[in-house]
Amino acid sequence: MRRSKAAKRGASIAAIAALALAASACSSSKSGGSASGSAAKDPASVKGTVTWWDTSDATNEAPNYQPIIKAFEAKYPNIKVNYVNVPFSDAEDKFKTAAQSGSGAPDVLRADVGWTPAFAQLGYLQPLDGTPALADDSDYMAGPYASDHYNGKIYGVPQVTDTLSLLYNKDLLAKAGITTPPKTWDELKTDSLQIKAKTGADGTFLDAASYYLLPFIYGEGGDIIDASAKKITVNDATALKAVGIAQDLVKSGAAVTDVTKDGYNNMQTAFKDGKVAMVVNGPWSTADDLKGSAFGNADNLGVATVPAGSVKAGAPVGGHNLVVYAGSKNLDASYLFIAYLNDAQNQATIAAKNNVLPTRTSAYSDPQVANNKILSAFQGPLKNAVGRPPVAGASDLFTPLDTDYQAILGGQKSPQAALNDAATQFAQILPGFSKS
Amino acid sequence: MSAATESVNPATPGRAAGQATNQAAGRAVAEPRKKYSRTKRSPLASVAIHATLIAASFIAIFPIVWVALTSLKTKDGQWAHPGDFSHLNFGNYSQVLNDTDFLTWFRNSLIVSLGTMALAVFIAATCGYAVSRMRFPGFRATMWLLLVVQMFPIAVLIVPLYNIMSKLHLVNSFGGLILVYCTTAVPYCAWMLKGYFDTIPIDIDEAGKVDGLSPFGTFWRLVLPLARPGLAVTAFYSFLTAWAEVAFANTFMQSSDKYTLAVGLRTFVSQYKGEWGLMTAASVLIAIPAGVMFLLVQRNLVAGLTSGSAKG
Amino acid sequence: MRPLKSLGRSFEKYWYGWAMAAPVVIVMLVLVGYPFIWGAYLSTTNADESNIGHDIGVNHIPPSYHSVGLHNYWDILSGNDGHFYSTLTWTLIWTFVNVFFHITIGLGLAVLLNRKIRFRGGYRLMLILPWAVPGFVAAFAWRLLYNDNGVFNAVLKYFGMHGVQWLAQPTSAKIAVIAVNVWMGVPFMMVSFLGGLQTIPKELYEAAEMDGATAWQRFRMVTLPGLRPVMMTVTLLGVIWTFNKFDVIFLVTEGGPAGSTDILVTHAYQVAFANIRQYAEAASYGVVILSMLLVFATVYRRSQAKLEVQA
Repeated sequence: MRRSKAAKRGASIAAIAALALAASACSSSKSGGSASGSAAKDPASVKGTVTWWDTSDATNEAPNYQPIIKAFEAKYPNIKVNYVNVPFSDAEDKFKTAAQSGSGAPDVLRADVGWTPAFAQLGYLQPLDGTPALADDSDYMAGPYASDHYNGKIYGVPQVTDTLSLLYNKDLLAKAGITTPPKTWDELKTDSLQIKAKTGADGTFLDAASYYLLPFIYGEGGDIIDASAKKITVNDATALKAVGIAQDLVKSGAAVTDVTKDGYNNMQTAFKDGKVAMVVNGPWSTADDLKGSAFGNADNLGVATVPAGSVKAGAPVGGHNLVVYAGSKNLDASYLFIAYLNDAQNQATIAAKNNVLPTRTSAYSDPQVANNKILSAFQGPLKNAVGRPPVAGASDLFTPLDTDYQAILGGQKSPQAALNDAATQFAQILPGFSKS
Repeated sequence: MSAATESVNPATPGRAAGQATNQAAGRAVAEPRKKYSRTKRSPLASVAIHATLIAASFIAIFPIVWVALTSLKTKDGQWAHPGDFSHLNFGNYSQVLNDTDFLTWFRNSLIVSLGTMALAVFIAATCGYAVSRMRFPGFRATMWLLLVVQMFPIAVLIVPLYNIMSKLHLVNSFGGLILVYCTTAVPYCAWMLKGYFDTIPIDIDEAGKVDGLSPFGTFWRLVLPLARPGLAVTAFYSFLTAWAEVAFANTFMQSSDKYTLAVGLRTFVSQYKGEWGLMTAASVLIAIPAGVMFLLVQRNLVAGLTSGSAKG
Repeated sequence: MRPLKSLGRSFEKYWYGWAMAAPVVIVMLVLVGYPFIWGAYLSTTNADESNIGHDIGVNHIPPSYHSVGLHNYWDILSGNDGHFYSTLTWTLIWTFVNVFFHITIGLGLAVLLNRKIRFRGGYRLMLILPWAVPGFVAAFAWRLLYNDNGVFNAVLKYFGMHGVQWLAQPTSAKIAVIAVNVWMGVPFMMVSFLGGLQTIPKELYEAAEMDGATAWQRFRMVTLPGLRPVMMTVTLLGVIWTFNKFDVIFLVTEGGPAGSTDILVTHAYQVAFANIRQYAEAASYGVVILSMLLVFATVYRRSQAKLEVQA
């Protein structure tokens, strides 16, 4: 049991917040650290090298940032950008390790929306209030921008937003005689079995990560925690029912899954090769999908809202923020870089090329975005997206839940036992939350 | 700890073998010695032996061969089609060399491994000699220290070392990682070198004493040159250990310009990314020099490994 | 307490020994001793990532962890942490099975290679190759073989069978990681035994043969006793290395599925560096693991010494 840890964490939150506040008030004494210093007054005079850890897909997405970086360096000849691609799955651990040690951390990080409050809580992030990094911040959509606010300060800007949706292979559905993609999990089960019987391809590939469990839980009207009531709801009857639906999809043969750490890649491979007809995944994956033999014709890729449970259809809001490391020696240059990378024009360019959803309202009127079929197709799912609980430790919940969800899908634990275990571990991560 | 995984204890006394030899000698005296004629192996036995060895060799090389084959598959996702041997070319190799930080990682691995090797052998040599030749108060404690530290699991040191190195700003630096590797490389080198010095006749030292050399002079001028092969093998082992270390490198090296190969390669195949083409090509590029070097020195390695138990 | 005079004399006498051993001893005390003590101290606190303290730019956060006595040890040893005993059991199985196969296969191959046969050099070269490949490269290679779309499943499907998700079920994943480690570890054992075999005097075999001993008897009465010193060393080393073997598990399964292939060291690493970083608990795990190894090594050496005396 790690009871002691939980208590201590709660205590340190307040300490960190107070310290950060006090420290930022006197930060102007530090060279280059002035909150609204030289970067705002005379951008051209700012010198330095900005190391940026980008967590986007190294082969499909990363190359599209290079022209923007070049243009930035041309505009600010005294600033160099050191672009580093870090795999998304490693970035959280790597950043934590580097940030705490004070060596090797980047100046700017592309952080998952879930990580941002946790990093801010640990004191790893620089508050951006009053800096050029927040240029035109009234343009940001409220949902994604909310993840950057922690304890009354703003620790990042939203770079992309996303949600999960049902991606499907139109050919395979047509071959199986299915005209519209399934709207509920029940339909998905029937359709999948029909696809399997008629085409030989698997119906659905379910990712075994717990993030992909959320649409099932939201579909029944539940959530893993109830932030306002400070309750852990991951093992309540609603969640149990939701997990039962996912488990039944796998048990009945309607869906295949893979609980190994190559699971996501194997899902992508199967979908790209036309060996599976449907997956639940986000817009970020479509650039990769379109490289597959099944989607030589891009129109074959269908996008629909995730199937609904008995209550509604819902998927989590995801996305990434650009945040600045508190220990950065190039704060001013970092602010300018973020402002440039995230202006409406560049957001629209990246969004259109990488099939990701911009966070600036104005970017959506850019023709590049407006004419992108996949992005348009994601507008519907985005309307049904469910915001994540505004709790600093929320992103840490997925690690224990992954283990338990995999044990359920692998048949090593009963849903109730596994979810109870998850709830126990949640209680250790979230001090002050009660188990239901 | 994985850094200790290649370490070898060459200093086990071969008492049992010695006893057996004495018994044999006794028996040879007791019975008049006949001409030795080994029973001829039946053809069937020969076939069985070869079949076993062929099967074992196949298992030994198959994964390596398969990786080499896969590395030539260049079409997106082709690695996932084991039977598809179309489009074989060196595209993955040029991508690894040109579009990734592979060469930087390779250089970093060399820096860290060579640094560890040089530092560890340099520090360890005198100690190995001291515990081989001299009996001084604290001798047993020193020997015990050398042995026990090799047993340290990575989990004991990694947390405190990370926190200490953080305070010293040695995380994400080559120097820091070399120091960390020395925690296992130094005791292991000292231990292994002791084994080698044990095999050098004590007469050499006495000759040095007669010539008026100090113990250190004897060591430096007479013993060390004779121990050169031992030094080489010890150095090679400590190099290999550092070269293949995963856990510390993964924790201590945070930016791509500092990654060693063991860390960098992981980025090709992560949870959301399966660039097996790049992974296999990089693997071949690492395995070829490592393998060639290994095979060149392996005769000596074998001699080094067994010298302790043979000559104990 | 010794009189000063004799201390001075002994200093003169042992000066060289001390001076020459000093660099290693000092380096060990600084690089191993100090961190070890620090780690042992951490293990009695509740330190984690949020209270360990750090100075980052504008954020100065002082350490705020405090002592919890032996709470962490109690947590682990009482089984309250929910992982220790299951992980320990699997670690023991992992160690025993691996070392068993390393030694038996290594010994078998060494005996075969020690005979006069054709292509001996070629076989030897191929059999030694897994050792020449760096461990992390080998681990990735096997992960590729075990992949759902890997060659093992392709072969199964070719023969009309269903593919197996090798790393997805605890049992098959355990067998899979053991297979990888056996593959990696056999060459070292084989080479060590080959060296050992070459030190056994030929006369012994001649004598045994003249006594009418069968091949099996010669193996049992001559080969095995002759190999005892090598055997003792490699068994001890094999157990320690396998017990602490990090890279195979970490790179092939990362402990999955659902933590079932985590051995103690990989579990401790996960506790320390994955998700919320529980430094204190990880340090306690480290101390517990080290204590177990020390006990094992001591008992093993004692028992072997006794055996030798009896023989």
